[in-house]
Amino acid sequence: MAHNIQFDEKRRKAIAQCSRCGFCRAVCPIFDLTKRPVTNARGKMILLKELMEGKLSVTEAVAQAFLRCTTCMNCTVNCPSGVDPQEMVKHARKEFVQLGMDNLFKAMAETMAKYGNIYGEEKRVDWGHKKGNAPIVLFLGCVGTYREEESVKAMAETMAKYGNIYGEEKRVDWGHKKGNAPIVLFLGCVGTYREEESVKETLQLLDILKVDYTLIDEVCCSGVLEDVGYKIIEDLAKQNIREIKKTGAKNLITTCPYCYRVFKDHPAYQNLGVKLSHITQFLKDFHFEVQTQKRVTYHDPCDLGRHAGIYEEPREIIRKIAPNFVEPLRTRENAMCCGAGGGFRGSFPKESVRIARNRLSQIIEETGAEILLTECPSCLHNFRNARRQKQKIEIYNITEFIGKLYREKASFGKEAA
Amino acid sequence: MIPKQRLIEIVGTENFTDQLEELIPYSYDASMNVHRPEGATWPESVEQVAKIVQLANEIKIPVIPRGAGTSLSGGVVPIQGGIIIDLSKMNKIIEISIENRYARVQAGVVCDTLNRELAKFGFVFPPDPASSSVATIGGNVATNAGGIKGAKYGTTRDYVLGLQVVLPTGEVMHTGSYTMKSVSGYDLSRLFIGSEGTLGVVTEATLKINPLPRHAMTAVATFSRLEEAGNAIFQTMTSGILPSVMEIMDQVTLRSIKENTDISLPDAEAMILTETDGYTWEEVEAQMEVILDIFKKNHPIEMKTAKDEKDRINLWKARKSAYATLARVSNSFVLDDVTVPISRIPELLIGIQGISKKYDIVIATFGHAGDGNLHPQILYDEYDPQQVERMEKAEAEIFHLAISLNGTLSGEHGIGLSKANYMTLEHDPVEMALMKKIKKTLDPNNIMNPGKRALD
Repeated sequence: MAHNIQFDEKRRKAIAQCSRCGFCRAVCPIFDLTKRPVTNARGKMILLKELMEGKLSVTEAVAQAFLRCTTCMNCTVNCPSGVDPQEMVKHARKEFVQLGMDNLFKAMAETMAKYGNIYGEEKRVDWGHKKGNAPIVLFLGCVGTYREEESVKAMAETMAKYGNIYGEEKRVDWGHKKGNAPIVLFLGCVGTYREEESVKETLQLLDILKVDYTLIDEVCCSGVLEDVGYKIIEDLAKQNIREIKKTGAKNLITTCPYCYRVFKDHPAYQNLGVKLSHITQFLKDFHFEVQTQKRVTYHDPCDLGRHAGIYEEPREIIRKIAPNFVEPLRTRENAMCCGAGGGFRGSFPKESVRIARNRLSQIIEETGAEILLTECPSCLHNFRNARRQKQKIEIYNITEFIGKLYREKASFGKEAA
Repeated sequence: MIPKQRLIEIVGTENFTDQLEELIPYSYDASMNVHRPEGATWPESVEQVAKIVQLANEIKIPVIPRGAGTSLSGGVVPIQGGIIIDLSKMNKIIEISIENRYARVQAGVVCDTLNRELAKFGFVFPPDPASSSVATIGGNVATNAGGIKGAKYGTTRDYVLGLQVVLPTGEVMHTGSYTMKSVSGYDLSRLFIGSEGTLGVVTEATLKINPLPRHAMTAVATFSRLEEAGNAIFQTMTSGILPSVMEIMDQVTLRSIKENTDISLPDAEAMILTETDGYTWEEVEAQMEVILDIFKKNHPIEMKTAKDEKDRINLWKARKSAYATLARVSNSFVLDDVTVPISRIPELLIGIQGISKKYDIVIATFGHAGDGNLHPQILYDEYDPQQVERMEKAEAEIFHLAISLNGTLSGEHGIGLSKANYMTLEHDPVEMALMKKIKKTLDPNNIMNPGKRALD
């Protein structure tokens, strides 16, 4: 069935403006892996041109092609013709969904509306065990166009039994629900449900630094839906705002750069009424009593760097605790994406992890670092899933790493005593 | 009908596609030419390439070798359909031999990637096209790519010692040698260099490499008259020194970049960007002094040398992204690369200005003035038939002008599709007949990138 998507004046101009110079090929993480032109910005701009000119009709396959983008913005910052391809991709995704091309993320929107998080986790109870490596399925299930039927069926059964796609029964109870505090700490779904160790260390660090904060009964910021063709879930946003306001806090800190952007930019959160910071902005002026002599490097998360413009604060913190700090070649505005963003991890998990693996190899080769730091639960998660035994590098969030240093110092002190 | 199963047998399912959304990007390059292929492949070895070409010969369907697809002349647009052979996965640097002064690379290696590796040894492959961050060595060989360093360091042709080529009949052949020079048999390498993928698929190249100059100095001068800038250029090129770079940017170009980016550029009729390089600072400075003296004699508005490395890099970034930045000004453009003997640069510049006025169409001109190669970029709207007509007339007149100045249709982009109709302006009937004969001899079934350059 033939469909047409609508382009306003601004987008028509952007499409015509693409000179097809191909410079975006040098920086696209998916193109780097696949060498297939449709996976990079130029390929997509060409598809949009043909859609605009009526030479191409919207089909499921065309809509799927637009899922192959992590929205990392590396193309945007390098485009000499002034085009923002990742914005065009997100817009196209919304248009396709309007036309009935329900992509994989319809399931995620429904899960999120029902469970308040992207994973369909039902409960927040004590978690005893390390969950290890969960199957890398995020949103494979409901539409199942791209992946094996078997895993879809298994996931559907799991969801019926446990109320979430991972079969997770429990969620860690971090405590820290003081109710009233000057600062609310918002963890986000990936940290909460997939990187608990990192969250644990971060919370302990804040305690050591005597930060007066509270956690809340958070639900997904739900901003990710906007990037994959859907809309933020207003009810979830309102719920978060209510919970934040209940605490009387004047400050909101997020550990996840993506949540930070959603709280900052999305109209659904405009009545937050608190000062918003990413945790690196909050901690950059603190004094830390720990250091490491190991060689340390830093990976700029796309959502923190290119999207939010936060480059200096994480580095200020790292320089305090790691005198032996080196930058990778592709850093700051040119940092290579870890492959997780823009829904890519959900729709193309194998490719997503391979991209992370390539980025790790790149970093290890260029810096010879022993420790890789970042401050994004998604990047952390993808890197940890991707790392092979032979890739000798430890990976942490900055706050997690500092928390760990304090813990090691304390236990060393105890031993000495 | 393409032999899908047989192609899958050669390259595997992952390295073949006939899906529409994947074929559409392959219908384009950086020119205005468009045509769908019927399939695309990503071979990973020369054996696979050879099998694909043999199959094409058997079934008589076109094959189109392709690198990054940044061609500005339609050279990789599959105008007669057929199968794309995308060399991007054949991207290994096979060998860097500093003691023998060469690098052996597969055709899919990106120019800048090679130079990043060579820099570790203090060496460089000098041809420096604007697209070097994405263009492949195979593409560079196919178009004899030049670039900013051409004034002193020449073009790709000057650095190819040997090639591995898959002939249109599917046989694999080596040309040239691993030695610095050789005159053993016909110079077959040169036949393939600049042949735009019409005589065979280049799968590997052995490239001569140079020591990386230890020092370089960049200077900029602006002029209120195109003629004075033009004179400054050819006087410099005949002064006894050789700048490593001699670029010009005209007023339209300068204004467009300034208005559309945060790169700060002066407003003048013309700006010259020049560089000297060498082993010692004294040498670099002495050469630059000669250039600056010549500039002074030609009444510049302003002259200055780049303050530091950051300044230098910014100036080069502005120049290398000029054509893509100009894309912000209008919906569409065509970019040409007419080249004339160096002393005729002023006439070419002024002639292009005249053509722009005559057809009431914006033409931004910039380029490698140091080797006579200008890039007039005609800015227009492809969706307005009247503008399309004016563009075509203006372009035709530019070609006529260049030929009348003893020049050539193309210095480095190739003829492809965009200039094919003008070949007889430049080449006499004997030449045309011989070129067609060579093509027919190597490619009797005309399957190797057919429909290009008016030579088949």
